[in-house]
Amino acid sequence: MRSHPGSILGLAVIAACFIVLPLIVDFGSSTMNILILLFVYVILSQSWNLLGGYTGQINLGFAAYFGCGVLLTHLLWKSGVPIYFALVAGGLSAALLAGVIGLPTLHLRGAYFAIGTIALAEALRIVVGNVFPSSLSLPGSYASNFNVFPRYYLGFGIAVLAMVSVYLLVKSKFGLAMVCVRDDEEAAQVTGINTFKTKFIALLISAFLAGLAGGVYSFNRFYFHHISAVFEPTWTFEPLMAVIIGGSGTLIGPVIGSIFLIVLSEIFVQIMGEAHLIVFGVLLIPVVLYSPSGLVGWIDWLRKVMGGLTVKDEQ
Amino acid sequence: MEMFTQTIAYGILVGAMYGLITLGLGLLMGVMKFLNVAHGTFIVLGGYVSYWLFTRYGLNPYLSIPLVIVVMFLIGLVVYKVTLSPLLKLPSVGNRLNSSMLITFGIIYVMDNLMTIFWKPDVRSIVAPFTGRSLEFLGTKLSITGLCGFAVAIVVAVALYFVLGRTQFGKHVRAATQDAEAASLCGINVHRTYLISSGIAIALAGVAGVIIVSSYSISPNSGLRWLLVAFVVMILAGEGNIHAIVPAGLVLGLLEAVGVFIVGAPYRQVVALVIFIVILIFRPQGLFRKRRLTYG
Amino acid sequence: MLEASNVSAFYGDIQALWNISLAIHGGEIVTFIGSNGAGKSTIMKTIAGLVKPKGGNIVFEGIRLDRLPAHKIVELGISMVPEGRRLFPEMTVLENLEVGASTRAASRLRYSNVNWIHELFPILKERSKQVAGTLSGGEQQMLAIGRALMAQPKLLLIDEMSLGLSPIVVERILQVIQEVNRTKKLTIALVEQDVGIALSVADRGYIIEHGRIVVEGDTKLLQGDGRLMEAYLGVDLKGKTE
Repeated sequence: MRSHPGSILGLAVIAACFIVLPLIVDFGSSTMNILILLFVYVILSQSWNLLGGYTGQINLGFAAYFGCGVLLTHLLWKSGVPIYFALVAGGLSAALLAGVIGLPTLHLRGAYFAIGTIALAEALRIVVGNVFPSSLSLPGSYASNFNVFPRYYLGFGIAVLAMVSVYLLVKSKFGLAMVCVRDDEEAAQVTGINTFKTKFIALLISAFLAGLAGGVYSFNRFYFHHISAVFEPTWTFEPLMAVIIGGSGTLIGPVIGSIFLIVLSEIFVQIMGEAHLIVFGVLLIPVVLYSPSGLVGWIDWLRKVMGGLTVKDEQ
Repeated sequence: MEMFTQTIAYGILVGAMYGLITLGLGLLMGVMKFLNVAHGTFIVLGGYVSYWLFTRYGLNPYLSIPLVIVVMFLIGLVVYKVTLSPLLKLPSVGNRLNSSMLITFGIIYVMDNLMTIFWKPDVRSIVAPFTGRSLEFLGTKLSITGLCGFAVAIVVAVALYFVLGRTQFGKHVRAATQDAEAASLCGINVHRTYLISSGIAIALAGVAGVIIVSSYSISPNSGLRWLLVAFVVMILAGEGNIHAIVPAGLVLGLLEAVGVFIVGAPYRQVVALVIFIVILIFRPQGLFRKRRLTYG
Repeated sequence: MLEASNVSAFYGDIQALWNISLAIHGGEIVTFIGSNGAGKSTIMKTIAGLVKPKGGNIVFEGIRLDRLPAHKIVELGISMVPEGRRLFPEMTVLENLEVGASTRAASRLRYSNVNWIHELFPILKERSKQVAGTLSGGEQQMLAIGRALMAQPKLLLIDEMSLGLSPIVVERILQVIQEVNRTKKLTIALVEQDVGIALSVADRGYIIEHGRIVVEGDTKLLQGDGRLMEAYLGVDLKGKTE
């Protein structure tokens, strides 16, 4: 984002609201849960955005990293490791997974890479489903200590961390390399950028953040009926949707998209149940085809029309 | 020893089916460089159509194939018109590929959920008099559904070979694939060629679905599983090598059968994925080398 | 036969043709010459429908071309041999020819036209089953011309025929071009780098520079005016363009 004093002030105000309001107002547990979920989505979509929107690597098996984080955090925490360590471990394990698979697959062209990521997520889902066929839950003692606030602030904190790190990354020289790789990989190579290294690092960071998102999610849940469910493609699709509809390759896009996603989910789940995803799928298509800059593009356009500032990233 | 021949026979029958599943995906990818991630979902849709015809009208699934072809062909035309043809205006092929992945990823969600609404999330399969029965041949048991699947796969592959190689339309497709602009200079309506090819590709997925619903089962979300199989076969066959697809399927079928023989059935899909990763690392251009020509 | 008025054409945001007006008359051989990047190929591509003009119009036998897609333009009777030949590398020589006759009208005469092309370029008959990507440069050019002729055109556009070809092959091709023009009354428009070749077969010529027509006239006139040749093409008539 352009460092316009106005936008920084605006952000600070919004952040302050998030921090202060829950202390003053009682939102009720379901709202708090929705907000925590929102943070999870923001982290997830921002990390997908890092890899897909900025570096041009379309990852269709993102759920693998998320699921990894969820699973590991849950298991570690259950066995007594403090939550914050468990969380970080979850993130690292996701990064490790990404690294191991990334080494052979990043050499491939875009389509094959995407295919590889779907395959990975599915493989994990099956294996995890076989290894943990029954439900997983935390011991009762954890439940009695339950307090939603640490979870909320942890989620918020990590969401902010994700935003800030992506921002710093994008603004750095590395960020420039990422965008070059996205726009024209061959040209980037010719200019001396180590495209493999760029993609690899983006993948690692992105997976780490996704793993952290998994940790936040795990922190807020005590019971998993089928743990393999967190490896399902829905966990790839929804952040992907949030990014595309919000505006890929921008900082604010994933956030807007996540909000949009959550709001729409809440509305449509009442009406259609699970099938609310149809709406998203239907929305995704015209956005990809006709309005690739997503909602951010619209907001931009609106602001230009109204003679105001733009929030869109400089490319 | 008998177990081994049984395994081989099984691998061949399944492999032919794997090839059949992949034809539609390979056609779309080869001709238009679109990756249809929703391919598995179309397979399942074809299965549902056949299932519906069977339960409503008692129509033998193998006889329903022509109907399924027609229905899926029309659906393919619509899909192309609405979602894929706008992609042709995009500047670079890489762009088109990426966008086709994203769009078809969205289509998965739309279709999966529509199917869930119409047909409930239950698992369906066609249970007919011949289901589960086998023929004995030289001491090995060959399931009837497997044999039929094999036969359909061979017939379709041969038909495709003839259409692409001998008919005028086939030449249009090949020309449009090799150089779309030059093709239009010959008077070929490239957009219409693409349109019909998309219809054919989806129809092929539908035929595969018929085989799957009779030999296995389907449920609204089972598409992903078949998509992954198709991916592996496509990579084994090598890019653009449509005629290598059924042979590649046979290879996968055999490798998988042998692998499962060693490792055990629940990990069947993991075997396939391991093969996939190995191929990607060591021979990403596929097993069957295409004739690479220099352009004078 | 064909008239273009005030045609401008762009590649993205870059303008390549500026208000071009020209005419091609039935039965003639007309040539477009000029230095590299002058816009000669762009004119061909615009007529053939690969580039859509902005502004102005192109009329061929009373029908407007500028809004039509390329394959429709072929149906109307205009066929192009593109720059770089653009054969279908994995199809055989015979298949390339057959594909050339993809329009309804042409496909009826496919068989007899193949024989005709085989008479014009016997080497193509010899290599019928060979895959196009393996032919030599000259053979490829002959195939490209043959493929374009299969479309039964009334107007044949040839874009940069002589590039990279040996003089013998060029000579043979020129013979064929002239023969076809004479016997079948086929109108030909030729874009050429090599001014000598261009003027040896053409009846009329246009000199293109920076996307504009700067000179137009009968070849006799063009050849006669040494200063013109010098100024626009850097040519001394015995040699090639610089």
